Amino acid sequence: MASVIYGVWDGKIYDNRDRDIFEVAPLPELAGFDFFNEGNVIKAFLGDRGFFVFEPGVDLLDALVRYAAKAAEESCGKCTPCRMGTSLVRDKLAMLHRERFDTGLLAETEMLARHVRQTSLCGLGQSCMTPLLSALDHFRDMLAPAPAPARRDDGGRDHDRRGDDRQAANGQYAMHYVTAPCIEACPAKVNVPRYIDYIKDGKPSHSLGVILQKYPMAATCGRVCVRFCEQACRRNMVDEAVGIKVLKRYVADLEQDISRQWFSPDMVCTRQPDHLRVAVVGAGPAGLSCAYHLLLKGYPVEVFEARDEPGGMAASGIPSYRLPKEVLRGEAEIIGRLGGRIHYNARLGRDYTLDDLMGRGFKAVFLGLGCDKGRLLGVDGEDPDLSGLQTGIDFLLKVHECLQGNGCMTLGGVVVVVGGGNVAMDCARSALRMGADEVHVVYRRDKTDMPADIEEIEAAREEGVVFHFLTNPGRILSEDGRITGVELVSMLQGEPDANGRRSVVARPDSARVLRCNEVIAAIGQQVDEDSISQGDGVRFGRRGFLDADGTTLSTARPGVFAGGDCYSGPSTLIKAMANGLKAARSIDDFLHYGRVRFFPRSRMRRIIGDFRALSNESIETPVENKYRVRVRELDPEVRKRLFDEVEKPISTEEAYEEASRCLRCYRIYSVITESPVPDSAL
Amino acid sequence: MHDTMQATINGTPVTFQENDTILEAARRGGHFIPTLCELSDIDHAPGTCRVCLVEIIRPGSESPVMVTACNTPMEPGMAVRTRTSRVREMQRLQVELILADHDQDCATCTRHGDCELQDVAQFVGLRQSRYTRPDWTRSRPRDETSPAIIRDMGKCIRCLRCVEVCRREQGVDALVFTGTSLQADIGMRNNLSQGASDCVACGQCILVCPTGALAERDETETVIDFLDDPEVITVFQFAPALRVGFGEEFGLAPGVNVEGQIITALRTLGADVVLDTNFAADLVIMEEGYELLGRLKEGRRPTFTSCCPAWVNFAEKLYPDILPFVSSTRSPQQCFGALAKTYLPEKMGLDPKRIRVVSIMPCTAKKDEAQRTMFRQDGARDVDVVLTTREFARLLKREGINLAALEPSTFDNPYMAEYTGAGAIFGTTGGVMEAAVRTMYSVVNGRELERIEVEALRGFESVRTATIDLGGDIGEVRLAMCHGLKGVRAIVEDVLAGRADFDFIEVMACPGGCVDGGGHLRSKKHYQPYARKRRDAIYEIDRQMPRRQSHENPQVQRLYKDFLGQPLSHLSEELLHTHYIRRRTEIKQTINDIWRDITMSTLVHSEFDAAEPAASRKRKE
Repeated sequence: MASVIYGVWDGKIYDNRDRDIFEVAPLPELAGFDFFNEGNVIKAFLGDRGFFVFEPGVDLLDALVRYAAKAAEESCGKCTPCRMGTSLVRDKLAMLHRERFDTGLLAETEMLARHVRQTSLCGLGQSCMTPLLSALDHFRDMLAPAPAPARRDDGGRDHDRRGDDRQAANGQYAMHYVTAPCIEACPAKVNVPRYIDYIKDGKPSHSLGVILQKYPMAATCGRVCVRFCEQACRRNMVDEAVGIKVLKRYVADLEQDISRQWFSPDMVCTRQPDHLRVAVVGAGPAGLSCAYHLLLKGYPVEVFEARDEPGGMAASGIPSYRLPKEVLRGEAEIIGRLGGRIHYNARLGRDYTLDDLMGRGFKAVFLGLGCDKGRLLGVDGEDPDLSGLQTGIDFLLKVHECLQGNGCMTLGGVVVVVGGGNVAMDCARSALRMGADEVHVVYRRDKTDMPADIEEIEAAREEGVVFHFLTNPGRILSEDGRITGVELVSMLQGEPDANGRRSVVARPDSARVLRCNEVIAAIGQQVDEDSISQGDGVRFGRRGFLDADGTTLSTARPGVFAGGDCYSGPSTLIKAMANGLKAARSIDDFLHYGRVRFFPRSRMRRIIGDFRALSNESIETPVENKYRVRVRELDPEVRKRLFDEVEKPISTEEAYEEASRCLRCYRIYSVITESPVPDSAL
Repeated sequence: MHDTMQATINGTPVTFQENDTILEAARRGGHFIPTLCELSDIDHAPGTCRVCLVEIIRPGSESPVMVTACNTPMEPGMAVRTRTSRVREMQRLQVELILADHDQDCATCTRHGDCELQDVAQFVGLRQSRYTRPDWTRSRPRDETSPAIIRDMGKCIRCLRCVEVCRREQGVDALVFTGTSLQADIGMRNNLSQGASDCVACGQCILVCPTGALAERDETETVIDFLDDPEVITVFQFAPALRVGFGEEFGLAPGVNVEGQIITALRTLGADVVLDTNFAADLVIMEEGYELLGRLKEGRRPTFTSCCPAWVNFAEKLYPDILPFVSSTRSPQQCFGALAKTYLPEKMGLDPKRIRVVSIMPCTAKKDEAQRTMFRQDGARDVDVVLTTREFARLLKREGINLAALEPSTFDNPYMAEYTGAGAIFGTTGGVMEAAVRTMYSVVNGRELERIEVEALRGFESVRTATIDLGGDIGEVRLAMCHGLKGVRAIVEDVLAGRADFDFIEVMACPGGCVDGGGHLRSKKHYQPYARKRRDAIYEIDRQMPRRQSHENPQVQRLYKDFLGQPLSHLSEELLHTHYIRRRTEIKQTINDIWRDITMSTLVHSEFDAAEPAASRKRKE
């Protein structure tokens, strides 16, 4: 917890300058502001809504010059006040700081700064003058020059232009971090406003390039992502969130043919020594993403996949009406284009062990095993050998195999799917397409509690799936080894718990029978225990998933890292891909330093995350309503029997229109530290 | 849904509907708000210049907030003030900031006197320019690689109108927004130069550019050199659309035919021979009409017209597969040029080497066209210089000629100056088709159309279709007329995909046709305001002509009799037909190239980031 000597945040003034520092009570909401990295004191913090000074003797003007330089560098240059104002303010502040401090120049700078804040088009210009203006409004005297010894000129223009500098001036070092609510919400930290900008600017290749900085599966993500970014989108406060996902799909589809030519082994600039080989276990989203980043860093990478095709859960678990298989396959090809090899039909624990990999000379291993074992219901009458009973994962896999032409299944009659997640929705909608006459979803909580995307639930409903909320299976009924029905029990809601979720208990005497031919248990998945054995040195955690360090993803065994569903439990595509990226960074560090280094950007994210610096604000001025692009879909009556992709692509004109809805809520955060922030991979 | 709501502007009540902007409501109520980037004719309000500041007080609030009128919606009960001292001060500062990185060499600027930035500086009462930094403008590019269009980014104010027109009106989408911060401006797709890019040189971007950032290449100096050189014989031609869109520059009413004054002006300049492109338009109908009838008999369909050079560029650069369907007949300008250096000197007893052909065109792409290598004889260009309408106006002013004060005169050349009504209507969308139908009908049936004005072919929709019975062994033909490249793109894609059923397709790249060409006079803060007046004037010329079918042009008949023989003769093929080149640029790049070019990047692989050479990596090795 840090003690604020003086500062302003959200208009609230903190002024403890006339007190002794030890008398100032640390602010609990500023937990984590003491040190940036080990032993490196945070002297000041500047952000979109004000600033804090934590140490005596901080050169506030210097901190503001650096912040202004970053703002000028980040200005997109479209609107007049931000383009010109940020550069002018930067230069004038630098002059005040270095050459002459005169009140007339200060007043002119202030006038320009107010103009930038009041008249800029987007969030960057509207917010980047706040630290300066709050200092001018409340702590003007702190900007006057200290009568200290002459300042060292710290490389003037160079630093003005670069902004992101770790140069010292007066024993102050700065690190800047530019972000937006959508970026922070994204597990992979995709620079969302930037890729939307590039669409608007007419540079779709660049737009896709921004996405490809984080993972190779842009078209896949553009179809099935759960869109944490859209939940965080500030446009929600005006009308509806920007169609971030649909724009991603648009650029990925548009550039589909040419982007294949962008990758080749020759394009990797830095080659790592040949012996630094890395094995990636699992060609799912986590594994592919990890392999992609390691290949880009120049490592020799081999991928081992248990099944006969890439994609993991994205291939077998996501039906083709949401994600056509060729889209996924095309994106997995990037691994080969970069010189990586994928070995198929190689299952860890069955065909080889972790020790085998180490023995074959791999210096690091990434485990992206997935979580592909389904869980049964655990109710009376449930026998795994019953005909008509299966887990959701197994069912989706069979559907997938069937569509691939590998042995078909027939489905008819009444199908009951148990569960409320996206897998349950995928099972229900796939069951319709496989020929079920009736599909029922049974979920023990209420509709609003369902973890599945609302769009998925609605699509299933439109296609005729019947929902039974606050209902649980009590017993499986069967005759001669075949399912004949399921006994359902109504559930009662209790009081919400600490997480806001309400417990449910069975209502007495509510049992009834639903006749059916098939029961699909889509209530959860686990890691295949056979893949890891005792001697591997990798441990399972409490919930039956692999144990790894949350920051570095390293397991108990040195050189072995884990990520994706096998580490987090069944989760989202984007989280798995983010894990792959994180593990690649950790492996790179491990192979070169024997340890995972400090990552300044991650640290910065934690600081602003904990401080809730980005938490909801209001939108001050009226904004024109421009409604979100409507994605055309196949008619429910037609599509419910087809595995053709349901959502249609948007047109170029629609993409330009949708891109223009982005409010560009960029914000700049700066820490001023005592010593330089370690220069490691960002 | 469409409830009328109330608010006030400067204390006066105004009514508005949902999502009306403050600017729209203010304009309706007669309250002037200075604007710069906004262009309502193309529904463009990107909100980038930030000049149209007003103060609003929202109901329930006391403190005024500064917003831009162009993209802020009206709200019930809102009080808008457009001219408080704070508003005026901030509008002034905004324009001052725009000037800070604007190349202010106004006296030498091509847009001198016709500049919307100069206007807005006056509107806001700007009296100083404190922040001007020449070093900020000098580093921005000036692209002179196109024969037609000069792009000078030191003068760009980032209004994005050009991008909008190229993208939304024309559907070419060759322009992109590029760079950030002070380096932000307009570039060509894939970082190409203007010349090598997908730009088709239609010039519609120039019509909307508020400053001198986009302009035609000025060639008035060359023309004055020609006029001054006693050895040179100058031969002038001017386009069908020129005469109906030129008077307004000299204070005459828009849409008035000033053909006679133009002839006088050229003679005053000292032109040796003054001729008319309309004559060549009649000739094109003969060649293209016979070519089309031949192709129809061979069952080759459809045939696209070829007189629009921006369309030819579009086909060659964006859809080379369509080229076999484009008529081989040269444009009127180039037919004229080829004859002006062969037939004309033969008839007039002149030395062809001394002849210099100057065209005056409402078109920037004609400059491009005149430079094509196939339009040369013995290394000399058929058309030596093309002046756009704007340059012609500049030329007259440089020579002190006031068109409005001139007495009209008439053509006096017996070889290449006479025209029919069919040649006259070439300047508007549908005109080429109508002229062709008149002559083809006559060729097939041996008699002329009952109604010479074919209303079915006229109109303003960007793609129009019609079926006409040509009779004889040809019968019904399916026709399409498209103007504005966005509609053209749709029809080209339909043809390539086998979805279209047409025999003859007229294409004009500029919306409206040549009467609204990218080389014509531009109008401040408006886009094509005189489209209808100019078009009406052109049809009026047709109506007044004694002969209204190209094959009736006696000078064309004489040309065939004395020189060419008949349409599609060997000599015709040599002088009046051409071929096309596939010019699609294939872009080869890697993801690294893209990553290096991405600004404001959050790249995780520092080794790909040019701005940040992998410090840690290098130290290690």
